[in-house]
Amino acid sequence: MSKNIRIGVYVCHCGLNIAGVVNVKDAVNYAVSLSGVVIAKDHRYACSDLGQALIKKDIIDYHLDRIVIASCSPRMHESTFRKVLEAADLNPYMLDMVNIREQCSWVHIGEPEKATEKAKDLIRMAVVRSKLLEPLTIKEVKVLRSVLIIGGGIAGMNAALDLANIGFKVYLVEKSETIGGQMTKLDKTFPTMDCSICVEGPKMVDVFRHPNIKVFSMAEVVSMGGFVGNFTVKVKNNPRYVIPENCTGCGECAEACPVEYPNRWEMRLGTRRAISVPFPQVVPLLYTLNKDHCIECYKCVDVCGERRAIDFKQETEEVELNVGAIIVAIGYDFFDPSTLKEYGYGSYRNVISSIEMERLLNAAGPTRGKLFRISDGKFPKRIGFIQCVGSRDERIGQIYCSNACCLNSIKLAIQIKEKHPESEVYIFYNDIRAFGKGFEEVYRKARESWITFVRGIPPEIKEDNTTENLKILVHDQCLGKLVEFEVDLVTLAIGMVPQDSARPLSKVLHIPIDSDGFFLEAHSKIRPVDTHTAGIFLAGTCQGPKNIHESVSQGKAAASSVAALLSKGEIRIESTIAHLDQDLCIGCDLCKEACPYDAVRTENGKSFIMDVLCRGCGVCASSCPEHAITMKHFTDEEVLAQVITAFQG
Amino acid sequence: MSQKIRSLSVNEPLKSTQLDPKFKYEVAKEPGGEGLGYCFQCGKCTATCPIRRVESIYKPRQILRAALLGLREIVLSSDVIWLCATCFSCTERCPQGVKLADVMRAIRNIAVREGYIHPFFQAQGKMISEIGRIFEDDEFINEQRADLGLPPVPIVNLEEFKKILDSTKIKELLASKGSK
Repeated sequence: MSKNIRIGVYVCHCGLNIAGVVNVKDAVNYAVSLSGVVIAKDHRYACSDLGQALIKKDIIDYHLDRIVIASCSPRMHESTFRKVLEAADLNPYMLDMVNIREQCSWVHIGEPEKATEKAKDLIRMAVVRSKLLEPLTIKEVKVLRSVLIIGGGIAGMNAALDLANIGFKVYLVEKSETIGGQMTKLDKTFPTMDCSICVEGPKMVDVFRHPNIKVFSMAEVVSMGGFVGNFTVKVKNNPRYVIPENCTGCGECAEACPVEYPNRWEMRLGTRRAISVPFPQVVPLLYTLNKDHCIECYKCVDVCGERRAIDFKQETEEVELNVGAIIVAIGYDFFDPSTLKEYGYGSYRNVISSIEMERLLNAAGPTRGKLFRISDGKFPKRIGFIQCVGSRDERIGQIYCSNACCLNSIKLAIQIKEKHPESEVYIFYNDIRAFGKGFEEVYRKARESWITFVRGIPPEIKEDNTTENLKILVHDQCLGKLVEFEVDLVTLAIGMVPQDSARPLSKVLHIPIDSDGFFLEAHSKIRPVDTHTAGIFLAGTCQGPKNIHESVSQGKAAASSVAALLSKGEIRIESTIAHLDQDLCIGCDLCKEACPYDAVRTENGKSFIMDVLCRGCGVCASSCPEHAITMKHFTDEEVLAQVITAFQG
Repeated sequence: MSQKIRSLSVNEPLKSTQLDPKFKYEVAKEPGGEGLGYCFQCGKCTATCPIRRVESIYKPRQILRAALLGLREIVLSSDVIWLCATCFSCTERCPQGVKLADVMRAIRNIAVREGYIHPFFQAQGKMISEIGRIFEDDEFINEQRADLGLPPVPIVNLEEFKKILDSTKIKELLASKGSK
């Protein structure tokens, strides 16, 4: 057999990353001595154009049929070198890569001789394995030109509009009554200080009216199957007890409704009727009846009259969608400041959250934009902002910076100072992170507006029993002294936390979550909107705290990634999957239970594997008691051959 | 000068009643004090200050911080505001464009109006108004000058000088307010 095998080995210097430690020439000389190796060479950068051209030329000139590349991780460049093989008319799976950078030169930087020996061992193992490699069939599947976007906030909406404008069919699934997300609650937006809903409102309408976008509000994704290009998703529509086709959005029902309940959209500051909209600019403009609060007086039904838009018997509906790709954009939630007892949120009436301050300053908010204290209705002349509430706090497991709170508090403080120059505003901070374009100017403007920045985070807030004023003892790091401030109102700059629905959704979609609870991107720098699952992308704050412009950028980035994936109409799928030999299968179903991707099916007492669903993880093969399952490209023979030569030397 | 120089005398914790938030506006209104607010407390001024090298209690950053916080009486009554030699190193290097030497002058002007003036400056003022110089000339100086081939120190026309000084009202300022 071996006389037919012609292996080429290429040892990469990776500049000095490898060659600085591993003796590359020595490794090459060793490789040439191995059986089956026709040629071995080193190259300063095998992945470069020159390096690739060299390998391609050698494959043709020397009739090579297997290639071993000793360089970096296959995660980095396996696809690069597979393309080289293809370009030389060799099956791309006739390649084995050895990672002598991460596994040799980097980890054994002080032991060049041992590192070189290890590199040689690894090369020998790869050469032995490569002899057993088999060409695998390249499979291409057709992809659907439709996209599911989960979450209708600013990131999801931007992704939806871009994809719809390209010509893809977009299904936008929104959990709440309206699209728009958290941005609808903000008064103004930094750094330009434009009105949030004025910027976002028209976009919400554009999304809803777009002929290529179908919006599902009050809906959630309950299951997902299939694979890249061909996902099948079940969406549950929760009842709002209002028939969309019949509701005109006139609001007469809400006027007639006698019941009020807290409006979550206004945080603790406003109420809404049992049949109502949370705020006037909702999209779609449909009223929602909340059965938890409805007393069934039917006054709404009476005023609705002929329109017959209210349906008490409306039920949950499930629809099935077939899409080529999925963008997750479910956003963030606000940190609950009552968790931190030391600040008294929830017990001191004059301690509010930053999002409540947004509502108090908003002309359409519960106070029509008038700022006053909840305790006595008086204007607060002295206002303190406390930064990093729920951020950068190891005690409560919130180790990350929430990104937007610095500029958000500065923005709110400037708004207060502009409306009320007589007020005094203090911002208690540890670091001011004004990192974005135009942000430093806002920070400087704040100081120009005489907002007092105090470097020091208060350990607690004390309330004066009679005045309900708040006393804050801070160690002013710049003065080097303890200072006790008395203020009339405290605003806690609350951080961003993952949505409660993130974890269940991660299970439905089989995509991982990071240690902070946000969705994990494939690579923090060069694949920031990809997940490790082909065809599923991330956008916005569900991936980590972000400000608006970053969320918009990610929405657009995810849209472009989806378009790049689906535009060709068909895509290549990975061939390194499981193969089941039905002659050996005893129908025990252990593989079926083990498979995390639902790729194993049973027919006539025997299992079989759905190629398109298999991700090649290998769990089924290791669970099979009859060794009936072979992992293509990672066969037992290949792995054992490597092990044996590793120990035989 | 053998007299001990006092730094900002701050007893901790500072109470909010000791803070006068209007002080920053007062300084900013004084010619030279306009840029106070831009200070973001990087500390380049203190680290670059040549006075700081010989007198460790002089910290321009701390003075600006105290002014921004509103420690009005503490700042105005302190000795350290008189230490600036107006070399402009801080002004040259401030990344936010705060003209520190000008701010310090503005603070001193307010201090004088409020009756705070350092005894050393008082003594100098008295000297100038009486003899037209900040120190007395003596034979030793003239001998040294003669060695260099220079004429003796010119005699000041005290009558003329006093007229100019009187028009500035510096005498009243020194006499009536210099006691605090």
